[in-house]
Amino acid sequence: MGTLWAIANKDLRQLWRDKASFFWVLGFPLIMALFFGSIFSGATSGSGSGRMTVLVVDDDRSPFTEALTKELDANSALRVTDTLVIEEARDRVRTGAAVAFVRLPRGLGASYGFDRSDSMAIEIAIDPARRTEAAFLRGMLTQAFFATVQTTFTGPKGSRLIDETRASIADDTTIQTRDREALLGLLGGVEALMGAMTQLGEGTEATDTAAAAGQQQFFEGPPIRSVAVTRELSAPRSSWEFTFPQALLWALIGVTAAFAVGLASERTRGTLMRLRLAPIRRSHILLGKGLAAFVAGLVSTAILILFGILVFGISVADPFKLALALVAAAACFCGLMMLIAVLGRTEQAVGGAGWIILLIMSMTGGAMIPLFVMPSWMQTISHVSAVKWAILAVEGAIWRNFSYAEMAFPVAVLLGIGLVGFAVGSFILTRRDLA
Amino acid sequence: MSDAVISVRHLRKTYRNLVAVDDVSLDVHAGETFGLLGPNGAGKSTTLGMLVGSTPPDSGEVNIAGATDPSRPEARKQIGIAPQALALYEDLTADENLRFYARLFGLTGARQRERVDWALTFAQLTERRSDLVRTYSGGMKRRLNLAIALIHDPTVILLDEPTVGIDPQSRNMIFSAIEDLKANGRTVIYTTHYMEEAQRLCDRVAIIDHGRILANDTVPQLIASHGGNASVSVTFDRRPETMPINGEWSDRTLTVSTAEPLGVVQQLERVGVEYRDLAIEQANLESVFLNLTGRGLRD
Repeated sequence: MGTLWAIANKDLRQLWRDKASFFWVLGFPLIMALFFGSIFSGATSGSGSGRMTVLVVDDDRSPFTEALTKELDANSALRVTDTLVIEEARDRVRTGAAVAFVRLPRGLGASYGFDRSDSMAIEIAIDPARRTEAAFLRGMLTQAFFATVQTTFTGPKGSRLIDETRASIADDTTIQTRDREALLGLLGGVEALMGAMTQLGEGTEATDTAAAAGQQQFFEGPPIRSVAVTRELSAPRSSWEFTFPQALLWALIGVTAAFAVGLASERTRGTLMRLRLAPIRRSHILLGKGLAAFVAGLVSTAILILFGILVFGISVADPFKLALALVAAAACFCGLMMLIAVLGRTEQAVGGAGWIILLIMSMTGGAMIPLFVMPSWMQTISHVSAVKWAILAVEGAIWRNFSYAEMAFPVAVLLGIGLVGFAVGSFILTRRDLA
Repeated sequence: MSDAVISVRHLRKTYRNLVAVDDVSLDVHAGETFGLLGPNGAGKSTTLGMLVGSTPPDSGEVNIAGATDPSRPEARKQIGIAPQALALYEDLTADENLRFYARLFGLTGARQRERVDWALTFAQLTERRSDLVRTYSGGMKRRLNLAIALIHDPTVILLDEPTVGIDPQSRNMIFSAIEDLKANGRTVIYTTHYMEEAQRLCDRVAIIDHGRILANDTVPQLIASHGGNASVSVTFDRRPETMPINGEWSDRTLTVSTAEPLGVVQQLERVGVEYRDLAIEQANLESVFLNLTGRGLRD
């Protein structure tokens, strides 16, 4: 193990000191992530048009709640869809098809939001991680609520409604005297407030104390309660969540090319011959080289993903699955490195052939342009590219929410490619240069 | 021949239609500095490659450092080779290069530090030990190349053209180093196409050309056997009308090939003829090679 690590350590040191290779391993992938991340930003914000998709579950189906829904839909920042079924709404939020759903409780239309009991609270169901969207939606809902109340209680229609309600309360024998007085007082406040708001609209000042009292009561807003619906990701939350997996692949491609050329360089410079003449096994040379490429791949991808998490807020659904994906991807490209290293006898030959192969793999595998924007025939071709399986595995851990069973296939493909590549490359290298 | 550290019998190596090494046999004894002298492409490096096991022979036998298979780890620990091409990691420092190779030869801890310090002193690179090799001059790289070959203190050292392309200071340093190795009882095989180096450093020299060993002996014996006559060149101000000494004339210069150059000078004195210049050129390894092959070492 000491010999193995000595060879790997030497190779890693050389990579660290080679500024050009270092750029391809870390700098270029980062540039790619930022470039494509910026291009695609907004494409994954929930609706694709910059509007937040919100569902409304109207349990009340009253004129007031229908008006409230219309008011919400009038907001240019929201795309509101009315739905009857709570389960459907919850599923769509959980799968990311909608950002949130708003549940209007039964009886809201009758109380107009004056009943502040728990059962009358409006629910906003949203992923707790979406704090910004939750706050925004709460504000928009409050605004729509006030607008609906104002529309409802102002003008002749509103006055008539207040009169009818007042008469209804007065005639209702089931209401206790104390409650009746409170409700009538509240209704007076509403009437005063609406009057004052109308005056404000006409440019006169509201000085009535009743109006002020009504305003104070209403300023508390409607009772709104947040309900957590954790999103089971099946789509990236931001463009960074699909450009950073691509960046990881560029890092692995950079590592592969650098180490393949490095191995060719050992051959042409005569240091490989010197390694052969050391009292070590050939397998130590091969495994040492492979270990260096593996460690470089793992470290560079870990640095990039950490950068994505810290700077761009990428959220990893399952760190263990991500670690599994990165290990498999690094192992795969370590094997490819060994295969590419024997494609030529000089650095130029290996570098040329290697970059051509790696670029074709990256183009077909989705490291340049995401697979989902490619035509179907291209997506079919991508199956032969290791890049595709590596991206799939990484995305599976970040936002596709793969189960371990779902992770198994791309991980197995990556490990298989890595093993075959390493075995074939080692066989040729041993016969040609280490015999 | 029982103390031969290196023993080679009927080695042959071909590359397609080219015979690189053809029926080479030789013995090198413990503590001996043995030269392989020949022009570029003569088969020197291929022979070294077969000695250390990096080039498999088509046929023949090699016995080196007590092993018939030089690729065995026990044999490799006894052998140090400085290849003709500078086999160095230029992105590493001299210190890192030496520590890396020391580790491959199983040296760790205090022993590794001791040998690395020794090698840096040997190569006169102690002050530059932390500089990247790519910043070194050709001579410094060549010295480091040699130091790496010696890092594990081998008993058999193979040096393939170790002075190619270096400055006189580094060449002299390498000469001194080889003489020190010899003084310490190390066995050295030294390939070169510079006859002065072989003449200065080697106890015995094998003349190799087109893959075949043409002669193998001590330098004086080679010269005596194959060097031919010395040549005496006499230049006159005016070509004498009579000259009792036979030789070849070129304008006013007479060149005489003779085994007794002093006899020619004495004969000139007896005749009493006046000459402007006289030069005696003794036979050397160059003339040995010329006589054996019909061409010069650098042709």
